[in-house]
Amino acid sequence: MAEMKKVAYRKPKKHVHAFDVVNYIVFIIIGLLVLIPIWKVVADSFNAVGVYQFQLWPSHPTLDGYRTILETSKLYRPFINSFITTILGTVLGLVLSTLGGYVLTRTEMPGRNALSYFLLFTMIFSGGMIPEYLVMKQLGLVNNMWILVVKHGMNVYNLVLMRNFFEGIPVSLFEAAEIDGCSPMGIFFKIVLPLSKAALASIGLMYAVTVWNDYSTVKIYITDPDQVNFQYQLRNMIMDGDTPTTSYAVSQNTLYYAGIVCAILPFMIAYPFLQKYFVKGVNIGAVKE
Amino acid sequence: MSKKDKVVRSSSGTEIRKKPLGLRIWNNRGYYLMFLPVLIFVLIIYYWPMLGIRWAFYDYKPVGAKIFVGLKHFQTMFSTPAFKTAFFNTLELSIMKLLITTFTAVLVSVFLNEMGNLFAKKTLQTIIYLPHFMSWAVVASIFSLFLSPSATGLVNNILLDMGVFDSSKEFIYFLASKAWWRPIFYLINIWKETGWGTIIFLATLSGINPELYEAADIDGASRMQKIKYVTLPALANTIIIVLILNLAKVMNMFESVFVLYNNAVYDVSDVISTYIYRQTFAIALPNYGYSTAVGLFKSLVGCVLVIICNYASKKVRGRGII
Repeated sequence: MAEMKKVAYRKPKKHVHAFDVVNYIVFIIIGLLVLIPIWKVVADSFNAVGVYQFQLWPSHPTLDGYRTILETSKLYRPFINSFITTILGTVLGLVLSTLGGYVLTRTEMPGRNALSYFLLFTMIFSGGMIPEYLVMKQLGLVNNMWILVVKHGMNVYNLVLMRNFFEGIPVSLFEAAEIDGCSPMGIFFKIVLPLSKAALASIGLMYAVTVWNDYSTVKIYITDPDQVNFQYQLRNMIMDGDTPTTSYAVSQNTLYYAGIVCAILPFMIAYPFLQKYFVKGVNIGAVKE
Repeated sequence: MSKKDKVVRSSSGTEIRKKPLGLRIWNNRGYYLMFLPVLIFVLIIYYWPMLGIRWAFYDYKPVGAKIFVGLKHFQTMFSTPAFKTAFFNTLELSIMKLLITTFTAVLVSVFLNEMGNLFAKKTLQTIIYLPHFMSWAVVASIFSLFLSPSATGLVNNILLDMGVFDSSKEFIYFLASKAWWRPIFYLINIWKETGWGTIIFLATLSGINPELYEAADIDGASRMQKIKYVTLPALANTIIIVLILNLAKVMNMFESVFVLYNNAVYDVSDVISTYIYRQTFAIALPNYGYSTAVGLFKSLVGCVLVIICNYASKKVRGRGII
């Protein structure tokens, strides 16, 4: 068969197609369209000159923007808040979605379907912004940065993704462990989690991105400037003119762009190394099988 | 296995002994315990607020008693022009955004798939996924700085340099202009989400049987013909699925508008969620009852959409979306 195919199919001669040339040019333009705004932000964050210049390299290099952020408590406090809530939110999210996802794979457990529907219903219907606000108020989470942890720590969609992943682990492994007298928690820690490192990384990243990037929850729930996160402070500073007073002169734009760089920095650093985990999260959700 | 076990026949006719329910529950006690934290969180975060839906039928202000008012809030809602604007804006903005970003994502995936050089392809993928990880607050900040009508606004100054404007007096305040807000909103969405949207299409394209392209080569098909007759038909199903999946979320549009709109452009930008926000947190004496009613309406429409899309998804690909 293979022989016959070789005879029947001959690769077209290799020469440069106009199609390829155009295609590459178009994609270079697309790549630049995506990159130039980001690059311009980074370049201007190091540039002391506040007026517009179309240049992609700082003409008056300075670190004042970053210095201001490090020295102004109104700016570094939200950054620390963002950091704390992101770490705690990710940990809580991973704990709850792995526990829940694992339990939902136990086919022989009575009530499993009821529990699934109990979770899935929340994806169809919700109380809405205001009833949620009133509940959180009763729990003392208004004006409290813990709201970010609590609100994002339980994501049903991520839990379902986790369950889908766990379903791929051979049942025989669980059975063998049970026969050896392993407890449910033992199986979870000794078998399920070690086999799911990639899924843990993907879903952990999804939680981290969600918490770090959240702006509207802070806007709705928090007015105390000590409790806000960096995204909130940044947008307030740039779009609502809430610029903190600084001890020395720094061009407003330099500070703004430095702020933007700080807001995207953690994921931009992690991204090249973790890209496959970011992408994987989408694929376990969407194109399963 | 004891003799008390219930005997069940499986489809293949072999006997399966099923233990009594009480015993099975007892055997799984460890798992119930593990599920407990999830249960508690879901109850608090999702189910407790559902009880608050009853306030949609009450007058509920930060001070004073809660008074039952029946359907008053719904009557007020449907006769308020601002609500109608918000409702139709929600539909228009999300559906247009969905169609536009899906179209660009398909286009980019198809031509990215034609790229022979694997390194170039991977690099481009890395670049175009990047904006997805920036928050809406950051993206809004970047574009509001670039589009600002001041001496530092990149876009206006470039247009001035190119001679489109005669002087800085003609600068356009893009984000506060009713004519410009929507096009800018769609463009920002394209910039941010097109790359990420290609993932699912590229995954489908990598699954196309290469023999189809070989057969097309033998028939003397050109590159564009191969795209038209092999690539695009292979994508059709995925495109439909992506549209269905996202149609279910149409009512959820919030943060992207919330960070970009302002009071000059409410007419063209206000969506239901931002309307609810303003009715509650941006006025002096909010009536939680009214905003809960608007929220309930939003949830119900969303619920109907999810059920329809779930049904459509089952028809198209044999499994639902939830």
